[in-house]
Amino acid sequence: MIYADNAATTRISDTVFEKMVPFFKDQYGNASSHYTLGTAAKRAIEKSRNQFATALTATPDEIFFTSCGSESNNWVLFGAALSRCKSGDHIITSSIEHHSVLNSCKALENQGIKITYLPVDHYGRVSLSDVCNSVQKNTKLVSIILANNEIGTIQPIAEIGEFLRTKNILFHTDAVQAVGNIPIDVKKLGVHFLTASAHKFNGPKGIGILYKRNDIELVPLIHGGSQEFKLRAGTENVAGIVGAGFAIEESVNNLQENIDKLNKLYDSTVKSVRKSIPDLILNGDPQHRLPNILSLTFDGVSGEALMHILDLKGIYVSTGSACSSGNSEPSHVLMAIGLSEQQAKGTIRISYNKYNDMDEVTKITDCVCSAYKKIKLMK
Amino acid sequence: MSKNIRCRFCDSDINRNTIGLNKKIFGEDQRKDRMMCIACMAGVLECSEEDLIEKINEFKNEGCPLFE
Repeated sequence: MIYADNAATTRISDTVFEKMVPFFKDQYGNASSHYTLGTAAKRAIEKSRNQFATALTATPDEIFFTSCGSESNNWVLFGAALSRCKSGDHIITSSIEHHSVLNSCKALENQGIKITYLPVDHYGRVSLSDVCNSVQKNTKLVSIILANNEIGTIQPIAEIGEFLRTKNILFHTDAVQAVGNIPIDVKKLGVHFLTASAHKFNGPKGIGILYKRNDIELVPLIHGGSQEFKLRAGTENVAGIVGAGFAIEESVNNLQENIDKLNKLYDSTVKSVRKSIPDLILNGDPQHRLPNILSLTFDGVSGEALMHILDLKGIYVSTGSACSSGNSEPSHVLMAIGLSEQQAKGTIRISYNKYNDMDEVTKITDCVCSAYKKIKLMK
Repeated sequence: MSKNIRCRFCDSDINRNTIGLNKKIFGEDQRKDRMMCIACMAGVLECSEEDLIEKINEFKNEGCPLFE
């Protein structure tokens, strides 16, 4: 098996897994219990909080654990709306956000909030001037994805943060694809909120992270007990939180080494596929991009077809469309960067991780080129 | 429905599930006169017929209406 769909999820690191096991077996206490088994669990959570604070250049009281990136995104959007917005107030986001942001915005629109969905250029970049020009007197929140999950384009978050710095507007970034893959410093980004998800950087599924600047208030989305500084109720997933902490520590400790490796895999993939298929389109921004996500568009061939043929060879990649009722719906991200519906449907995403190597790249590119030619031949 | 569609290589009958698989593997727009049976498709794709039957079952389980 060759797994190259790491933007969807990643294999858990062996170290991370080993660190989690005791919290399933022996140290299974509830972190809210005031006896030794409980306080040990509480200490383990606080260690993880410290690991994230170090990784993101934040303080531990600014780190909150949730159940996933989608919950963190929902919390910011609905929390900000509940505490700051009245009907007719305004939120700015982009047209290429993850559905957890886009669908939250649609739900808020139904409650009377006005939403601006900023366009992106051919590379998938939001323009700073578009952000500036969209701000209104009643704009309460700006939420822009840091790095796109389909094409890997990195947005000018620090520049937008600088522009918003003197304005009374909350600024959130969904950094789910970025954290663990590129350096992140919340102070340099100038954000009030940042979302991450452990399973994107070799941690466990079921752990989301929300950075919230400590001078910013956010009302809870989940009410109940006093967990997470009384802002996110629910018994903590101790093993998952512990695993997430070690996963971010491991990622950050080896960050530059991983980036260098991923860039080599990226370049080799593009070079090899282009050699066989010269009219290949490489989507995304050649300069401002993640090192691990490749979005490739093939002329006259279905991305879903390519994915299924690769699947038969034990190679896992994803497509630029979601199959629904036998018809595939083109990706909103690929349509937003100006691809035609046919091009969007002819797109696959290959996303690498530190566990991939050059031998796998050779097998993937050989298979992609061979599958492409077979489909063309059999048409 | 499927009785008019035959394998482009061996002329055998192609049933609804095989038509669905042709569309999945070669694209939604695959012409009926370019479709192939499971055995011939396995030869073209260099995989086993069992692999392709397993794929059909996966699509069925996902609820894809191309399969019955």
